[in-house]
Amino acid sequence: MIESPLVPTADTEKPRKKARQPWTFDRISFVLVFLVLPLALFSVFVVWPFVQAFWYSLTDWSGFTPDMNFVGLENYQKLLDDDIFMTSLRNNIFLAIVVPFVTVVLAFALATMITVGGSAHGATRGLKGSSFYRVISFFPYTIPAIVIGLIWLQMFDPSNGLLNGVLTGIGLDGFESYPWLGDTRTAMPASMFVIIWGFVGFYMVLFVAAIKSVPGELYDAARIDGAGRLRTAFSVTLPLIRDNVQTAYIYLGILALDAFVYMAALNPGGGPENSTLVMPQRLLITAFEKGQFGLASAMGVVMAVATLVFAAIVFTVNRLLGGRQEGVRR
Amino acid sequence: MSIDKKTIDRRTLLRGALAAAAIVPLSSALAACAGSSSDDDDNSSSKGGEKSANNPFGMAADSTTDAVIFDGGYGTDYVSFAATIMQKNHEGSTVKVSPTTEISQELQPRFVAGDPPDLIDNSGENSIGFSTILDQVEDLSDVLDANNLEGTKIRDTLFGGVEAPGTFDGKLAALNYVMTVYAVWYSSSLFEENGWTPPKTWDEALDLGAKAKAAGKYLFLWGKEAATYYQTLAIGSAIKQGGDEVRLALENLEANCWSNPDVQAVFEGLGKIIDAGYVKPGGAGTQFTAAQAQWSNNQDALLYPSGSWIENEMKDQTKAGFDMKGFPEMTVTADSALPYTALHSAAGEPFMIPSQGKNVPGGKELLRTMLSKEAATNFAKTKLAPTIVKDTVPADGFGSTALVSQSEMLTAAGSDVFTWSFVDLYGTNVDQLVVWNSFLAGKSSVKELTSRLQDITDKIREDDSIKKIPVT
Repeated sequence: MIESPLVPTADTEKPRKKARQPWTFDRISFVLVFLVLPLALFSVFVVWPFVQAFWYSLTDWSGFTPDMNFVGLENYQKLLDDDIFMTSLRNNIFLAIVVPFVTVVLAFALATMITVGGSAHGATRGLKGSSFYRVISFFPYTIPAIVIGLIWLQMFDPSNGLLNGVLTGIGLDGFESYPWLGDTRTAMPASMFVIIWGFVGFYMVLFVAAIKSVPGELYDAARIDGAGRLRTAFSVTLPLIRDNVQTAYIYLGILALDAFVYMAALNPGGGPENSTLVMPQRLLITAFEKGQFGLASAMGVVMAVATLVFAAIVFTVNRLLGGRQEGVRR
Repeated sequence: MSIDKKTIDRRTLLRGALAAAAIVPLSSALAACAGSSSDDDDNSSSKGGEKSANNPFGMAADSTTDAVIFDGGYGTDYVSFAATIMQKNHEGSTVKVSPTTEISQELQPRFVAGDPPDLIDNSGENSIGFSTILDQVEDLSDVLDANNLEGTKIRDTLFGGVEAPGTFDGKLAALNYVMTVYAVWYSSSLFEENGWTPPKTWDEALDLGAKAKAAGKYLFLWGKEAATYYQTLAIGSAIKQGGDEVRLALENLEANCWSNPDVQAVFEGLGKIIDAGYVKPGGAGTQFTAAQAQWSNNQDALLYPSGSWIENEMKDQTKAGFDMKGFPEMTVTADSALPYTALHSAAGEPFMIPSQGKNVPGGKELLRTMLSKEAATNFAKTKLAPTIVKDTVPADGFGSTALVSQSEMLTAAGSDVFTWSFVDLYGTNVDQLVVWNSFLAGKSSVKELTSRLQDITDKIREDDSIKKIPVT
């Protein structure tokens, strides 16, 4: 029964009839350590809080009492009617559209230049001094998000900030006391810029690692066939690191659907006209300041659903763009 | 074949990881909120000790009192000071003073589990909404009826009206410890130098704005987190102009309460100042402490409306010889319903005693100790702010012009002291900030300001799940 698992047997085509293996100590301990324990931890710390939060979202729990009343879907109805929450949902969706796209495009462009964008003669290589750029652009990622937020908060300060100082210094007097984070037109773009600034370096390094694992001969072949740098990037590099791009896209999407730390540092109050308000900020206020934990849980459920929908969209798009038909898979 | 299968496996894995990641924001916020309660049966029977003159609440001997104190502008050492006195008076008892800046987040699970502390200073940005825990705290009237350590009835040693901000539905749920005077603050030395006088009406303020402009300064400035300081100023001014009916309409969330003619007149007065360009631009993008430093250190603007904590808050960032003083809110006309000297003043730092605490008498005893002359004088001296206990500030105000100015304003106001609580009670400040930032930046008109403030009020009034507390 178990003597020759490595030798392919003749009846591979048919569903193999598995004889039940005896419950030896080895087997039981194996199941316990590698299946039951992780599953238990997962259920207790991941699944259970999720179920619990969903249950709370159906109640009017204030958060400070042991008792609560079941109210059905009333909280969700309330969220739909709550224009401020809907604004924050829209802001999150807007972030999820812009931030991953811009970050991935920039990171991909930089990674290409550093790895294969160099001289057209000799071996395929990156630009001169590429390792220096690589280190430099990774710097922002080593700074904690909250610190990034606080640094840029000072940069954007209308009266004493570096940005307005430079702009007025070169003669653009219109930026005197201009509130980058306090004007509806610029608050969101400025906040997005900060997030993207913090992540481009990291995803660049991720893409660099992916590109390094592409066999160099492919680039040589492409070059012999007369492909320019742009053509190489889109026809050789991109298809070969497709999975990495998808993963990066999803991680960035999850980040953008949260974005709490950055927004809380840059505009704790949600920004002018709530233009940078994100769902977790609203959740926190609803739960702890207004004492409506039931409603706040409903917000959390909406956030989770939004994230799952985002992931589903990315998978679908990748598949539609031919992610599975590619012949070359690693 | 096998490659395909692998892909699926990895995908499934990734999906699982994704689902987990999506759940993280939920679970981290709510994992701590297990709604199960355990041992809240035996709390009411907290074993009391013998009641006596020294121990009016019957605190058990050798008991421990657990106090959680907001660690903000006033720190927590003033409670520790009182705790030391209490431990001396009650040999064997201990007081544990825990500082925190996140009152709500820290205490929420303890309330649910039926194990709250014995004394809370429910203050700061993350304080617990009063309406949420109103049913779960002690009525503190018996503390006021007790004698203080010096043997005088505590109620007789306090400023008038200090119970008002902590009284909800006839129950003294919170005792606010620190006397806060809301006023418009200025540098008396700068005003003297230029021969300016504090404005008494909004028209005078507009004139002063012109003079400030001539001197290359602004009249007002603001910071994004503190835009509603101007709402406080405007409401105070409107109440002085129109009297109690304005206050009651706002407090009871009445329809069209923001369209009251006196409220409108104040908004118009402020609107004129904004339209004239007398408010420093860029406030909506400036952190409030940075903005306040532009007033107290750079003197970019002449006036700043705030509570009396401003002196302590900006202590390190105030220009030498600033000589900070305050004056009460401007009125619209000289014949306002309440006199110009009427003052918006309220006690702040609400101390509450949860009924489910393990040592309720201990919490009351600590509060009684804090209200003693010794502890209250220590507070005024170290924090340069008066407590609700009268006669703890000497004539020289421990060398602070702002503290003297507060005492003067309180004396001049006499019994014309008022306050309101709907903003804190229903937690509307966050939403109102947005509206005020736009208005101060000159981005919205008085009409828009009014309708949007009304929307916020209406939303609360029409939400049945929020408990309303009628004010009379």
